[in-house]
Amino acid sequence: MALLTVRNLHARVAGKDILKGIDLEVAPGEVHAIMGPNGSGKSTLASVLAGRDGYEVTQGEVLFDGKPLLELSPEARAAAGVFLAFQYPVEIPGVGNIHFLRTALNAQRRAKGLEELDAMDFLQLAKEKSKLVQLDAAFMNRSVNEGFSGGEKKRNEIFQMAVLEPRLAILDETDSGLDIDALRTVAGGVNALRSPERGMVLITHYQRLLDYIVPDKVHVIAAGRIVRSGGRELALELEEKGYGWLGLDGGKKATAEARR
Amino acid sequence: MTAALAHYLDVATRFQAAPEQASAPQWLKRLRADALGHFERQGLPTTRDEAWKYSRLGAIAEGAFIPRTDVPRDSAHLSAVVARLGLPGPRLVFVDGRLAPELSSVAGLPRGLTLKPLRDAVREDGELLESLLGQRALANEHAFTALNAALLEEGVLLRLAPGALSEVPVQVVFLTRGDAPVLSSPRILVVAGESSEATLVETYASAGPAGSAATFTNAVTEVTLGDNASLHHYKLQVEADAALHVGALHARQGRDSRFASHAFAFGGAMARNEVHAAFAGEGGDATLNGLYVGQGAQHLDNRTALDHAVPRCTSRELYKGVLDGHSRGTFHGLIRVRQDAQRTDSRQQNRNLLLSESAQADARPQLEIFADDVKCAHGAAVGRLDAQALFYLRSRGVPQAEAERLLTYAFAREVVEAVPAGPVRANIEALLASKLPGAAQREVTA
Repeated sequence: MALLTVRNLHARVAGKDILKGIDLEVAPGEVHAIMGPNGSGKSTLASVLAGRDGYEVTQGEVLFDGKPLLELSPEARAAAGVFLAFQYPVEIPGVGNIHFLRTALNAQRRAKGLEELDAMDFLQLAKEKSKLVQLDAAFMNRSVNEGFSGGEKKRNEIFQMAVLEPRLAILDETDSGLDIDALRTVAGGVNALRSPERGMVLITHYQRLLDYIVPDKVHVIAAGRIVRSGGRELALELEEKGYGWLGLDGGKKATAEARR
Repeated sequence: MTAALAHYLDVATRFQAAPEQASAPQWLKRLRADALGHFERQGLPTTRDEAWKYSRLGAIAEGAFIPRTDVPRDSAHLSAVVARLGLPGPRLVFVDGRLAPELSSVAGLPRGLTLKPLRDAVREDGELLESLLGQRALANEHAFTALNAALLEEGVLLRLAPGALSEVPVQVVFLTRGDAPVLSSPRILVVAGESSEATLVETYASAGPAGSAATFTNAVTEVTLGDNASLHHYKLQVEADAALHVGALHARQGRDSRFASHAFAFGGAMARNEVHAAFAGEGGDATLNGLYVGQGAQHLDNRTALDHAVPRCTSRELYKGVLDGHSRGTFHGLIRVRQDAQRTDSRQQNRNLLLSESAQADARPQLEIFADDVKCAHGAAVGRLDAQALFYLRSRGVPQAEAERLLTYAFAREVVEAVPAGPVRANIEALLASKLPGAAQREVTA
């Protein structure tokens, strides 16, 4: 059975239709890349799946593990195993990174009827997982994302994913704005977290990410619809030809930026 | 004359005429009598008075509160309350405004420190008291200070000999039982000699069951800091829902002295806390911090006044409010920089977090600057929880109520963390944790 099933999903933001009939199926173990030009609806899809306020679903449905996802609160989605790596991770002054993550993990464990981890066990776990993205101990004691560089924020997202071990990870432009070293680190972390039970959706603007994380499937989204789906070769074709050959406005510009 | 004023005049007149007051020293009788005159002349303030614009005083006027005359006895219950609130170390405990000797202990008081009930000090340190009582907190300028002075009997003298140092905090604890509409009028007098240093914790709490009768505490603290002296002052006001509280602290700072006031207002139906600091010598440093956390229909009123009368003094103020339910919090902070007070460096911040639609915060910074070579900055803000941060936490699995609590604590902790690490801070953290929204719920599920 599919891990995630999106059927004919329509959504609007501030009265404007953004998603106009998305269909997507992700099986456990699969990595899907969703590419598309600016304003195509990529990030809206991520936000709708994670349950952000202000997005109105007007048609269609989303099933997670065969059960309706959209009626769940964001925290219930997280406890069910959905994780969103934010395009712009939020800075939260005054909330310690490690305290926040332990609170999150234990809330998820409570929701699943598991025992909470005590501070010592959690620290052990966090230490181990932080190696994946080379996040040093100093970051753990700082406030969530406060004063982090762009790369540090993205690494922190992957670190959180490693600790929370979701069944479905949605990575919203996790590669944007990263230098090649940081991209390699982040991609290395993501690759280490690939597993036969876990599905992943990589939302990206740039083909470059797919040199480091090789997807099973690639989808091109434009004007709120998936207009092409294929294997990895589709991403290469996009790299070569831009979005223009799909008859999409603004595509050339996006690809030109990507080549720079 | 209003009925309320007549009531409190009657209370004070009877107190002063009582047979047991016949043996009081003349200076004290005069001080009380003068104060009664000042109280009568000023009357009870109303919201039409500028300085009391935000204070809801109706309950004080209607309450017909009276002083308690019987001496409180020790009980297992009161001991348990003191143990829960207090810290180890020397302390004087008052119940319904009366000294409770059996709950008090001055064992372990460091050398050079004197901590004694005001009643004893009246007998033993008459000259000192006569020269200082009513000198910082002026009865002719403040009706409730006048009422406190008219009823002056119970309280505390804390005296630091020059050079005396205390590592352990000294505590004064004021409990109300809530079995009668009691008026308590404690007076705390602190005299710190040159280069002395100490920590004083004033705690105001209720010992009665939930739903107890309203009580009215009208406290005055007078602090005189000698040259280069230092006082860390904490006020923890965690009284019951029905309690009414008016407190005024006045500090006069000598040359190079340091005064740090940390005022935590968590309790009471109406609680007003005033902190006044005046620089009398150059090089002084004042820190006035406050945290007020209101729920239900609580009304928490904060007033600060800094008097930069001399050059080269520094003041820092940070007051934060967390307001839920229908509660209302106010901050009115006056910074006065007089003409001679060149090189003054003063900063004031007031930030408020509203957790509900009907909570309200009023911020009123007031700067009066008559010197030209000064640095003065102030800021005030009222806001709500950050929706982005809230979603971020929830998307990681933190339930909404817990996420709100985390963010609320993150907002409040700045004031708590300004308290040096140690038993006083641990005590404040525990009190705050049990006060923040959702505290009870979390305790049940944990």
